[in-house]
Amino acid sequence: MIRFENVTKVYKEVTHAVNDVTINIEKGEFVFLVGQSGSGKSTILRLITAEEVPTGGHVHVAGKDLARISSRRVPYLRRNIGSVFQDFKLLPQKSVYENVAFALEVIGRPKNIINTQVPTILELVGLADKQRNLPNELSGGEQQRVCIARAFVNRPLILLADEPTGNLDPVTAQEIMRLLDRINQTGTTVVMATHDQKIVDQMRRRVVALAHGKIVRDQQQGVYS
Amino acid sequence: MMVVIFDRLGYFFHETWLSVRRNLTLTFAAILTVAVGAMLVGLGLMARSASSNALGRWQGGVQFEIFLQPTISGAQIDALGLELRNHPDIERIEFVTQKEAHELLQEILIDEPEVLEEVAPESLPASYRIVPRRTEGELIESLAAQFRERPGVYSVETGRQQIDAIREWFNSFRWIVLLMSIVLSAASVLLIFNMIRVGMFARRREIEVMKLVGATNSFIRTPFILEGMLHGLVGGVVGAVAAGALRNHVEDLFGRSEILAFFRSFTVSSSQFNTAIIITIILGVVVGAVGSAFAASRFLDV
Repeated sequence: MIRFENVTKVYKEVTHAVNDVTINIEKGEFVFLVGQSGSGKSTILRLITAEEVPTGGHVHVAGKDLARISSRRVPYLRRNIGSVFQDFKLLPQKSVYENVAFALEVIGRPKNIINTQVPTILELVGLADKQRNLPNELSGGEQQRVCIARAFVNRPLILLADEPTGNLDPVTAQEIMRLLDRINQTGTTVVMATHDQKIVDQMRRRVVALAHGKIVRDQQQGVYS
Repeated sequence: MMVVIFDRLGYFFHETWLSVRRNLTLTFAAILTVAVGAMLVGLGLMARSASSNALGRWQGGVQFEIFLQPTISGAQIDALGLELRNHPDIERIEFVTQKEAHELLQEILIDEPEVLEEVAPESLPASYRIVPRRTEGELIESLAAQFRERPGVYSVETGRQQIDAIREWFNSFRWIVLLMSIVLSAASVLLIFNMIRVGMFARRREIEVMKLVGATNSFIRTPFILEGMLHGLVGGVVGAVAAGALRNHVEDLFGRSEILAFFRSFTVSSSQFNTAIIITIILGVVVGAVGSAFAASRFLDV
């Protein structure tokens, strides 16, 4: 589903954000990217969504070599990828329902599909009774669930999560992990960058550890350190 | 499929309207600038039509025109033509028949067909248009005097010098107007560019999310470009209305004042007026589209 071949990303000709990374992530896998800040986790996620272009090597996503698709096709690639963030990136003036519906509206989905899919996904993330609320009326965990609903409403093949539990207390973080696990159970490939040692140790999934842009460990059913 | 298109149009218009409301003052400034620029273009175009309507017969070096009595015989016409053609001070002549005179009148009276109906071609004078070898005023006056009293000659009209002065005045008016409208169009493009940029900045979070979930560039840009075009359209329409009102006012002024009576022939026909108005409005829309498309391509890359 995601394949990096000797991928290097250099910023300003000095900093190696990602240095000769080769990795293969199969469909349906759940992968933790761990490592200190600046170890290259976020850059790897941004390479997958084609927000960054590699300096060297090849990135393949959903069977496509990203170097070979034109910039006009990039939006269509992104429709296969859902993204979840530490800071949620919700639109403050839109309700929960509108935030999720927005993701479908702007890719030109017809109203009737939006009207059936949005309530379904809000049910899945447990926010059916809060769909008329604005984001600032919700707790952090609830906001993160809206963000996940938005990322998943289009049923993407891949879900990328960048520190999704970074702003949450441990109990709420557990709930978010259960939700991501459920999404993974549906066959969606999940890649999650995190600092959260407890969660990684508890989940027992594949762990890819990065340091200075290089992979230093790649372990099935691994732990944080 | 229709439903999808309808949903999408609804989305675009909704977004455009929201954005217009958000920057009301900037919107107002942009529309006014477009309007003034467009109005000047409209006036310039009308001035051009008016001057070429009024001065049409003086083109190609024609310095004076000898009008013949409608009752003149064919032999007299030929004799006069031969004399003119052989005259040492005359370079070239053009004969305008009664039928051609009627056609010219038709062009001038295109908006007043009922007046035209009253005029039979036989009642109009045929004429010779004269291009002399030299264009000094004295020569032209003496030539005109030579032919004024001939039998069969109805009148001789000169007036080339005044005509030249007026033509020059109209030309410089047109240049000034053109220059000002270029400057104002550039200002309009910049204002709309900035307005769209401000709009994009206000909506940067939305744009970020749109890119994230895979909205195409054209989908993200369309509301902004529509917004720019809408401003241009409104500005163009306001400018066209202003130019139209000014035209009526000026023609009214020419009609009433004896001093300005000379300018009565400086009118534009309704088709020329419509062309000027349409070009004015199109210019507004183009200015809006250029400004916003420029902003969209600058600030909205994947």
